[in-house]
Amino acid sequence: MSTNKIYRPQTNIDYSSYLYILPAFIFYLIFVFFPLADTFYNSFTEWNGISEKKWVGLEQYTKNLANKKITSSIKHSFILIIFYSFLPIMLGLLIAGLMIRVKVRGMATYRAILFLPQILSMIVVGIAWRWIYAPKGPLNSGLDFFGLEEVSRAWLGSFDYSLPFVGLIGTWVMFGFTMILFIAGVQKIPSELYDAAKVDGAGAISEFFNVTLPNLKGEIVVALVFTVTLALRNFDLIYITTGGGPGTSTMIPSMFIYKKAFQMNQVGSASSLGIMLTFLIFTLVSLILIIFRDKK
Amino acid sequence: MKKIFLIISAVLAFSFASKAENLRILAEAGDEATLTAAIAQFEKANPGVTVEASYLGWDDFMSTIKLKMADNNPPDLAHGNQGFTVDGTLIQNGLVISLEKYADQYGWKSVFADGALAEFMWSDDGATWGSGSLYGISPVAEDVIVYYNKDKLKSLGLSVPSNFAEFENALKVSKDAGELPIALGGADGWPIIHVWGLVEGAYVDPNQTRSWIFNAKNTDFNTSDRMTAAKKLADMANAGYFGSDSLGIGYDDANAMFMNGEGVFNLTGTWMTADFNSGMGDNVGAFAMPRASGGVAGGGSFALPWHISSKSANPDLAAKFINHLMSNDFVDDLMGVGRVPAQSPTIDPTSNLQAEVIAASNALIGANAKTFYTDWATPGMYDTVTQELQKVIGGAASAQEFMDAMAAESVN
Repeated sequence: MSTNKIYRPQTNIDYSSYLYILPAFIFYLIFVFFPLADTFYNSFTEWNGISEKKWVGLEQYTKNLANKKITSSIKHSFILIIFYSFLPIMLGLLIAGLMIRVKVRGMATYRAILFLPQILSMIVVGIAWRWIYAPKGPLNSGLDFFGLEEVSRAWLGSFDYSLPFVGLIGTWVMFGFTMILFIAGVQKIPSELYDAAKVDGAGAISEFFNVTLPNLKGEIVVALVFTVTLALRNFDLIYITTGGGPGTSTMIPSMFIYKKAFQMNQVGSASSLGIMLTFLIFTLVSLILIIFRDKK
Repeated sequence: MKKIFLIISAVLAFSFASKAENLRILAEAGDEATLTAAIAQFEKANPGVTVEASYLGWDDFMSTIKLKMADNNPPDLAHGNQGFTVDGTLIQNGLVISLEKYADQYGWKSVFADGALAEFMWSDDGATWGSGSLYGISPVAEDVIVYYNKDKLKSLGLSVPSNFAEFENALKVSKDAGELPIALGGADGWPIIHVWGLVEGAYVDPNQTRSWIFNAKNTDFNTSDRMTAAKKLADMANAGYFGSDSLGIGYDDANAMFMNGEGVFNLTGTWMTADFNSGMGDNVGAFAMPRASGGVAGGGSFALPWHISSKSANPDLAAKFINHLMSNDFVDDLMGVGRVPAQSPTIDPTSNLQAEVIAASNALIGANAKTFYTDWATPGMYDTVTQELQKVIGGAASAQEFMDAMAAESVN
């Protein structure tokens, strides 16, 4: 692009155009900005939700960081990123890659079915999977049928398996989304690129890595931002399936925020944890955007 | 002009005088049948009075009640929950009033033994619990007892245990015969608190447990008796007396299992009596848990307390309604909706089970052996005790680790 074209600031801005965004902006102020600002203020106080707030500075933050239960819950969140983000993206890419090569009859139907978990409420998903994982649920019945009684167990009641098995529910929910995203992305890749790859003698795998993957970069970033955010702020699925248990083996920061604010009368502490979680999500999303930014 | 003013004020006065009185109640949903019966009677006995009751399920109720009472237009009468988390907070912030005046007027205290109402007594600043003024009251008793499958116990050649060693033996015999000894919904966490209350009660003096709950910060949790109880619970878990899947089963599912003939014993609260009775008929019995050294003990208390809002325009009417619930006449109605009245009923129990449950409840009251619930002790105790008990049941923590975590939360 030539750079000798000088940008001329518009002198006669029509301020009336701002009126159009005013309603949405007011809505945003009331329902997003003020609660966030209020939470930020509360995070520096000791407050039980009813009585006078007491300013305590950074004490809530230092207490949270020193609380081993909270730091280990953050670790659980990072493990959940593997299941909510990494696995669905891999599966989505795999299916999108296959789609290019293999034409499946009735693909639209499969796509709709695979996307279905996305439109279900997490509460419904949680209750359904709690039943599937139950000691006498379909998963264990299936294992028993194949003579695997040794393997079957109360999955969500196990200190070793509950976290990955809750994570797998997230994988099931999210991969419909990544798949649709990537399939749409693949369709906008010019077919000339694939023809050229074929002329150069590229096989299916080489074609995937040299044509499909680079052209899906934008979609992958969207998928990463969306799924990582969900993995970190996820609450309903854990609340419904395990409640953070057994013990603290599936405890995540958002469960602590709920328990502190609504069970333990510690609104100040809950607010500071909320701000910490927001900051963590913001940092990770920024990192993703920086790593994948266009280097032109 | 003066005339007009007089007429207006006369009209106003008249309209106020004849205005129907209104009482607004917010209750936990478990009380819906009880209140429906009580409200109909109360409205009939007090013409012109309208009672509006609304209900919320346990989780919703407990997470919003403090905010609702702090609202500018709170209900006149509402449930609280024993302990510092709800009742303590309500009293500390002056949101509910002392019921001393009404207790004297209606004679509520004389109905119960001395000290029986301690769980509703607070200092007026809400800082000390277990003595002081009466801030709440309830007509219903809720006790944690042992329900058992009569056919199974009989076919195993066992009888109702008269001490804790016999209870343990019954568990072992059940296990050896391939039965599930105890149906437990450990996935929900809190049902294990009830099991712990019974095992703790078997070894620890009830007075000691109550003192700890009223004042956890300054009372030693880590006593040798309680250590014995914690070890006993861990041994029971290791022996497989709760089955291998209990942490994957919710409370409702465990009760359904028990009613479908899985599990010899079920250690739970008297609020399940009506359900068990309709699900198992004459095949279910109940007894209070016998202690190791004789006598009985167990978790239990009154049901959720009734509080009068400090912003209520008509606290006298609210108190009158509470008195209707507390009255001798209402005792039989409580039985009718399947609850266990805190006062002795005048009619015969409606089923074998209800008779046994009332006998168990009376035994606990008579021995002054109700030990409340562990999670009342501190605002963070519910979380700690449910998590730590899940670890004990799942073999992920030793009795010592449980004791240490609990002692640490006590002073938190």
